[in-house]
Amino acid sequence: MQIDFKSPQRQSILGIVIMFADTLQGVIRAMWAPLLIVLIKLEPEKYIIVGLSFIGIVIFVAIIAFLRYRNFTFFLDEDNQEFILSKGILNKSRINIQLSKIQQVNINQSIIQKIVGVYSLDIDTAGTDKKEISIRAIDQDLALILKERLLDFDNKEEVLLDENQEIISKENNTAKPFIKISYATLFKVGITSKYGRTIAILITFIITLYQTFKDAVDTFELDESQVDSVFEQGLGMASVMVLIFGLLVIVLLINIIRTFIKHFDFEIIKQKNSLVVTSGLLAKKNTLLNPFKVQITSFSQNFFQRKLKILDMNMKQASNSEVEDKQKKSNVIEVPGCDAEERNEILKIILGKIPEKGQEFSPNFRYLIFRILFAILVPATIVVLQIIFALENIIFYFPFILAYFVIASFLIYFGYKNYRLYSNSEFIVLKHGAWDVENEIIQPHKIQGITTKQYFWHKSSDVGHLTLHTAAGDVHFHFGNFTEIKQLVNYWLYQVETSTENWM
Amino acid sequence: MENFTNEIVNLNSLPKFEEVNFSPLHKNYLKVVYINIAITLLIVAIAIGVLLYFNEHLQFTSYYLVFGISYLVFAVIVFFSSIASVKKRGFAIREKDILYKRGLISTTTTMIPFNRVQHVAMHEGVFSRIFNLAQIQIFTAGGSTSDVKISGIEKEKAENIKELLMQKIQNHV
Repeated sequence: MQIDFKSPQRQSILGIVIMFADTLQGVIRAMWAPLLIVLIKLEPEKYIIVGLSFIGIVIFVAIIAFLRYRNFTFFLDEDNQEFILSKGILNKSRINIQLSKIQQVNINQSIIQKIVGVYSLDIDTAGTDKKEISIRAIDQDLALILKERLLDFDNKEEVLLDENQEIISKENNTAKPFIKISYATLFKVGITSKYGRTIAILITFIITLYQTFKDAVDTFELDESQVDSVFEQGLGMASVMVLIFGLLVIVLLINIIRTFIKHFDFEIIKQKNSLVVTSGLLAKKNTLLNPFKVQITSFSQNFFQRKLKILDMNMKQASNSEVEDKQKKSNVIEVPGCDAEERNEILKIILGKIPEKGQEFSPNFRYLIFRILFAILVPATIVVLQIIFALENIIFYFPFILAYFVIASFLIYFGYKNYRLYSNSEFIVLKHGAWDVENEIIQPHKIQGITTKQYFWHKSSDVGHLTLHTAAGDVHFHFGNFTEIKQLVNYWLYQVETSTENWM
Repeated sequence: MENFTNEIVNLNSLPKFEEVNFSPLHKNYLKVVYINIAITLLIVAIAIGVLLYFNEHLQFTSYYLVFGISYLVFAVIVFFSSIASVKKRGFAIREKDILYKRGLISTTTTMIPFNRVQHVAMHEGVFSRIFNLAQIQIFTAGGSTSDVKISGIEKEKAENIKELLMQKIQNHV
């Protein structure tokens, strides 16, 4: 068989079957609700009409499948080192992919494809829709050859590294860990971090519990007023306090347990140019961290952590689409509870040096308006209205209302005070957060694109928003001085466009 | 090493993205937008018609008036906002990057340096094809938020832009 991808070619002829299955699946997914209703409410005298229309749909789908098959072509342009894919019946698309940009080529087989005996070939470039570049039906031999051709381009070694990102390494035992987190530190991390997330999980848990309880009451037809009154009697002021205290203890306990499970025996070992991170109680996880792949480096610290002299570090790596969909977190490597010195060591390895904070940029006071309006003014109005119309006995809730306003004001104020952007020729640092104060560090040459945004009512006050797109996510700076932002953008563009460094 | 220079960059002498002249979309693209608006409005009209026809509780003159007036207001808003937003869109190709500006309430400008483009796609919609227009989509590693989609470019011009981008990508390998 002469294999030549130079001229446009179609998929395997069996592709029609796959296209048919795909299209049918799409139709059913879009219309399952009405279809179900039709089937359930079906009267015997309408069997023929429904049957005929069903056949009609199948024929229609078949025609579409055929057209999709016919219009789907791909070929390899060897002169330009491009892979070109055309598709679409009414809306036509042509996608060009530079061979050097291809990161992975995956050959898969679904159940239907297995039955028919074809494979699908998906091409992965950094950060794109996976569905965009996929050949749905191709013979195995052809797929393997095409894969080889697509990857037959220099410097593919990096890709190999990527695939081995999570390895179990045995030889490392000899190397001395350069960072090791002790149990005492893990305990400190447990009691000081991630309150928000644990509380959110707890609230969902309690709501589900309450719902189940209510369902039980409904099914057993208990007298609801009885149950409700039990609740109300129990909800005295003192018991509320006990409840809150209990919740706090539970939150802390959950935090400590989770920290121990996740970060047990946390170690970082230096290995040539990269770091090997090992941790975990139940399942030991080994991760290879290549400094070049880190796009955003960040460290954060809250008030308690500052007192205990510990901080959390995060290294966000370039994520491809697959990871982005399922679990974005998995491409983040976390170092819990390191001290300032260890942080500096890690920063030196990843960024080459300890970043200095450059020129400072602060947000406009307009940053506050929106937040004050929604977190303070609107609730305050509701409270005042309640008092005026005396709809409920508000006095009972007064301590909570007061606590809410105090906390909200603090969060807004510190959120504003900590919101800063720093820039010098080597690093961009975004500092933000009211409680957990996070510093996100980006090197300008890791920027993929920049977006600026300005609402028309901000034009006269020269206020605007900035978004830096990196391969590990976006970083925003809102309500900055727009003249300054524009100047920075021009500078960063200059830096990216003259940079010869690889972003990964 | 002789050619190595490392002078201080004068921030004010850098090319300014905000002073670039953006080229508007092709004027025929408005016609495509008209067709799209017409189809949307037709579907909404049919939906309202079906609702009124089958729901006997709504078959009073007052309801007809309410639905009619809301529909008209909706149609006018959709029509003018769509046209205004098309007129606000523009793109510019510089030596080393591509800029795309859009937005009615806010002006959003996205800038993608050529050496960060991953790949390029060209889409032709049914109606766009009638007017010989195409859409260019530029993918970066920054994910969907930084991808740029520019509709309403003459097909030939779109081909040229794509060709140019592919060339630039190649040169940066």
